Amino acid sequence: MSFSERMLKIDRRIIFLVIGVCTLLPLLYPVGLPIKISNEVRGVYDHIESLPEGSVFLLSLDFDPASKPELQPQAISLLRHAFKKNLRVVAMTLWVSGTGLADQIITQVAREMGKESGKDYVFLGWSPGGTAVIINMGQDLYGAFPADYNGKPTKGLPVLQHVANLRDVNYAVSLGAGRPGVEEWYVFGRDKYKFELGGGCTGVMAPGLYPLLRSGQINGLIGGLRGAAEYETLMDQKGRAIAGMDAQSATHLAIIVLVIMCNLFYFSSRNRTRLQGQSGAH
Amino acid sequence: MIFLRRQVPLLITLITGIVFAAQYYVPHPASEQMLTSVTKWLQIIGGFALVLGVSSLFHVHAVKIRRKEAGWGYSFVLYVSMVGTIAVGLWSNGKEAVDGTMTAFGWIYNFMMVPLQGTMFAILAFFIASAAYRSFRARSREAAVLLIAAVIVMMGRVPLGEYLIPISGDLSQWILNVLNASVRRAILIGVSLGTIALSIKIIFGLERSYLGGGKE
Repeated sequence: MSFSERMLKIDRRIIFLVIGVCTLLPLLYPVGLPIKISNEVRGVYDHIESLPEGSVFLLSLDFDPASKPELQPQAISLLRHAFKKNLRVVAMTLWVSGTGLADQIITQVAREMGKESGKDYVFLGWSPGGTAVIINMGQDLYGAFPADYNGKPTKGLPVLQHVANLRDVNYAVSLGAGRPGVEEWYVFGRDKYKFELGGGCTGVMAPGLYPLLRSGQINGLIGGLRGAAEYETLMDQKGRAIAGMDAQSATHLAIIVLVIMCNLFYFSSRNRTRLQGQSGAH
Repeated sequence: MIFLRRQVPLLITLITGIVFAAQYYVPHPASEQMLTSVTKWLQIIGGFALVLGVSSLFHVHAVKIRRKEAGWGYSFVLYVSMVGTIAVGLWSNGKEAVDGTMTAFGWIYNFMMVPLQGTMFAILAFFIASAAYRSFRARSREAAVLLIAAVIVMMGRVPLGEYLIPISGDLSQWILNVLNASVRRAILIGVSLGTIALSIKIIFGLERSYLGGGKE
């Protein structure tokens, strides 16, 4: 067996080790390379920035703990921005397994920003029905969520004053890790109830949402950890996303080097086989 | 019985299908009220579906354990975890925290579910790297194009890539905004047309597989 063939059949534990080292080292010794802001992320940021004080901002945290590393920093940055702008925040989730996580995120950021539940923000929690919840909220928000996550009746909460349904929401952002997520919020929510919509998603999902972005169906998109890092940069608040970008840079580079190496070995091995075949024929 | 099993569901599907397709275009208060009521039903059915799903899961794994089928140990772990979580969840009134204090349910969520799901997702990075090394080869012209596009996007999506090759950021944005968006849109249009065709077939009773194939 030639060197190239041996390298093509390398023990996968070596690859695991390379990826592990590339993740760990930048986390221990961060470099802090500059992060360029994309138009997609700026779209969400600029829209929140343009909202007047007291506007209703709906944040749907449609993810579970599996997507926490990518979507939690996005949620934290968006909530910090909304609270800083004194918007009325209505948070909820369409994913039952993400309810606890969503509650922790909003409670933590609200405490940090000195905001009060019921007055400055409300966490509605989860309600069964998936996309039906979106339609139901569009028809009657209090019918979909008669009580908030803590069991307080939603009717009469100061934060929901003059809010009857989704038509009264000024801006909504869905942070989705799958379905239901951003696409469902557009199809069942924005299309009928005509509120402005932005999106956030995991890195692997982002390419699938570009058609919505390009057609203006969503006005911005925060894609993966990179998107979260861009938002943290815009907010001038270094968080977990910026800290994780060096590790992501190193792993991306490692995978690219591995792919190039594997192709070099592949072509070398193929040429060798071809030459051997030709000499055998002679 | 055939009338109840076949004709009645087909009739319900036909009427509701036509009425709710038309409802979207009728903003009259009566039409909106009808939508409000029906979405409430949908939410209630969603709740029942959850109960049905959990009971079905219990049944499937109970059978596996009773028959001691291959991998019944995993079913046992699932059974114990599910029963335990439901019991603790009911005990904690479904709350992860009360007045800032973590409940037993919150403990299960924070120290079992969060790390387990996080670990499952995190190990993907290792498997993807290994799979990329083994299978991402330029065997054909099409594979070579895919490979080059992937390398550009991977470079352009991280600060280090943009630092080493400054143009990679703009190139990656162009690939995502133009090439990727147009292809995705074409797929979306195709899927949507297919969905419309299938919906029409279901509404008019041409597609009946959703009724199941039980004895008539």
